[in-house]
Amino acid sequence: MKFIDRLEHLDRRIIFLLVGIAVIIPMLIPLGLPVDISKPVKDVYDKVESLSEGSIVVVSADYDPGSEAELYPATEAFLEHCFRRNLRVFMLGLWPAGSNLGNLALEEIAPQYNKVYGLDYINVGYRPGGPVMLVSLGRNVADIVRTDYTGTPIDSFPLGRAVKSARDIDLVMTLSAGDPGVLHWIIYFNARYGTPIACATTAIMAPQQYPYISSGQLIGLLGGLKGAAEYETLVERKARAVGGMDSQSIVHVLLVIFIVIGNIILFSQRRKK
Amino acid sequence: MKQTLPLFIVFGCGFFMIIAFFIPLGGFQDVSQTFENWYTGVIAFFVFVGILNLVRVNTERIQKRTRDWQYSIILLIFLGIMMVAGFFIGGREGRLFLYLFDNFYIPLGATMFSLLAFFVASAAFRAFRARTPEATLLLIAAVIVMIGRVPVGYWIWHGFPSLVEWVMNVPNTAAKRGILFGADLGLISMALRVLLGIERSYMGGGKE
Repeated sequence: MKFIDRLEHLDRRIIFLLVGIAVIIPMLIPLGLPVDISKPVKDVYDKVESLSEGSIVVVSADYDPGSEAELYPATEAFLEHCFRRNLRVFMLGLWPAGSNLGNLALEEIAPQYNKVYGLDYINVGYRPGGPVMLVSLGRNVADIVRTDYTGTPIDSFPLGRAVKSARDIDLVMTLSAGDPGVLHWIIYFNARYGTPIACATTAIMAPQQYPYISSGQLIGLLGGLKGAAEYETLVERKARAVGGMDSQSIVHVLLVIFIVIGNIILFSQRRKK
Repeated sequence: MKQTLPLFIVFGCGFFMIIAFFIPLGGFQDVSQTFENWYTGVIAFFVFVGILNLVRVNTERIQKRTRDWQYSIILLIFLGIMMVAGFFIGGREGRLFLYLFDNFYIPLGATMFSLLAFFVASAAFRAFRARTPEATLLLIAAVIVMIGRVPVGYWIWHGFPSLVEWVMNVPNTAAKRGILFGADLGLISMALRVLLGIERSYMGGGKE
């Protein structure tokens, strides 16, 4: 019983240390665990595959550095797929730091496919206003977006001139970490203009999206780093997300072990009473 | 007058926007579009108000030497540096802004978020216990999702991911739908209360 009592009062720094070790060791010694593909991720992939060359995809980077670890790999994998399929990317951000993070991904991926700024992709930067801005954007893009993120008028770019309203947009991909984000795209863009919406969210937000997948308002979902890893596997671009899966696997196993130990303590205390 | 005028503005604008949504006539749409454009302009201005408030709150903390007031100094210094770098040294094209964004903002944000993993682990050990039948059910579902959502679950048993999808698609969706319907009905009733002037707390505690 002494051992159980000692466990009950385990210094939380030991728990922190174990989590730290569980994160670091798989990074140094990769396990190479297989990544299975879930249906919501495959549905996003299939939708992108079904679009014809030159289709316009809005990529909305609705996150900030706090969620960068989960959503940036999804941004890169999705952009890679778009450029490989010769789709045109219209990027914006509903969060102030989102379009900057999106721009980092664009600058990383676009040159690999010889894509030209303004012709194949454009970044119009942070757009405040949340839901009302989305309604206006769908009705008339020029009401909301007059310049790109550098301040250059968007009608000086071929892609800027091509996107006039929601009718010109074939797919919206929102990389969402909260509010404003995926929910607003569904309510104020999909419901109003019928544009298909896909999303990548943080793992904690993923369960909230399932009612919208089942109702057909969302075509698919990349949930957390696992969703990004699945997409990387589908586009055959094994990068940060797949690399992070070993650490996440071991930490999850460790958490389950903690839960089991915690409950053993509970039952032994009950028996003692 | 201080309360009546805002009530009339809210009533008029709110109901006009609802009517305009259902009547797709040119005149209605033009006016509603103007309102929407005004809204985005006002929201953009709120960023400026937010910065002013941030400066005021943190200046007060420094003046009154409240707990951890030193952090307010750091915040104000970096707020100033980021604004100068953004506005006067080439905006987002400027190298200083990008340098600060890439090397300070991103790592600091990621660090704050990653700390959650440690606290979640500690909480899982101390609080996630099968004290009641409901807690036991939640615990079983959590363990299934935690293991099934990572590759090690698929490695242990190939059926784990399918089990997770079932948990997400059936019990999770059913519960979320119930919560969403309840919350949305509450939202509609709250919106009506605001439009009809029954709910006035958003106007603050001013007197006539």
